[in-house]
Amino acid sequence: MKPRPPVMRQKRRYILARIVPPGSCPDQKQAYLSVLDAATALWGDAVVGLAQPAVVFCDEQYLIVRCRRGSEDAIATALATVTAVGDRAVALRTMAVSGTIHALKRRMRQIRPVSEPEECVIGERYFTMYRYPRQKVDLVEKSIKTQKLLFLTETDLEER
Amino acid sequence: MHATDASVCPYPAGNSSAGRMAIEASELGFDSIVVIDGEPACSDTLCILRGMVIRASSVKDLLKQAQRAGPEIDLIFVDAGDLAFNRAAVTARGVSVLRSIYRSPKNAFDHVAARAAAERGVAVDINLYPIVHYRGAGRQKVLHRYADLLLLHRRYGFGLTISSNARSILDQRSVRETERLCALFGMTHEEVAAALATVGTLLRPARPVRVIA
Repeated sequence: MKPRPPVMRQKRRYILARIVPPGSCPDQKQAYLSVLDAATALWGDAVVGLAQPAVVFCDEQYLIVRCRRGSEDAIATALATVTAVGDRAVALRTMAVSGTIHALKRRMRQIRPVSEPEECVIGERYFTMYRYPRQKVDLVEKSIKTQKLLFLTETDLEER
Repeated sequence: MHATDASVCPYPAGNSSAGRMAIEASELGFDSIVVIDGEPACSDTLCILRGMVIRASSVKDLLKQAQRAGPEIDLIFVDAGDLAFNRAAVTARGVSVLRSIYRSPKNAFDHVAARAAAERGVAVDINLYPIVHYRGAGRQKVLHRYADLLLLHRRYGFGLTISSNARSILDQRSVRETERLCALFGMTHEEVAAALATVGTLLRPARPVRVIA
């Protein structure tokens, strides 16, 4: 099939969002469903139907959402209302909007943990500890039922 | 203080420490936060203020609790109640901000309370937590209440503060996201900027000129 000429194609915009905490969106489809659910709850079927949001890229730390040009503000607002992907609590922080995925990928700066994950015990609970730059420490509880998260700093850990 | 998150609830109420929330807030574009009932913390990156929330069932109880606030408390917040309570709360000594308006009955904050709040320099808080977390009819009701509040603010000129009421760093939103969420009920960019700077005004209220010596 012959593709449409460029002037007849839909103009699109791409939104880059950072995933907090890193590694909370293991599945692109789950991320898409969460974004779609949040957008539909906020703007309704009519607006979201025209905006056509889709998650076109998803890794441990970043997510790119595609939408129609002109609807990027509505979708960015909807991203601010995403509170969970699947059963994991997340926040999606909108970082940039662009006309190409290539431009957004240049803005992705991977934040690496400063050391290997460690284990620690607080009270009677066991946690896996991830240390990040700027003295950030994320603790993920080792549990079968629920994974409790704690967000602390190095100073907080020293005090405990 | 150009951009203040007017209330965050750190550990033990939430799962993030005050220090971590301060780091996150500075990355999100804020220059100060108000910590509610949390452990005292200090930060190099931004100003951490301490706030206290009064949940009173009667005006008498409210006044008693407001008197008990120590000097370490920068701002006193009062949870809104019915119409009579709110009218009394905005005129009570020491009260800085009336919050949780979205939970109070319809018309609980009317034009009389709005005028009193403007005269006494008391602000009303816009909590973003229900906009982010609620769905359906609950969120629609909150948006309607905030739109009504905005109408009164434009008419009578009382201060507005904006808070994430975050219990976790995952609930905190950036200044730009705050603008987008506030645009849902009709707040303009300038109004959001003014509301984010209101906490600074509450701490240093405009007073008549005094001759010192």
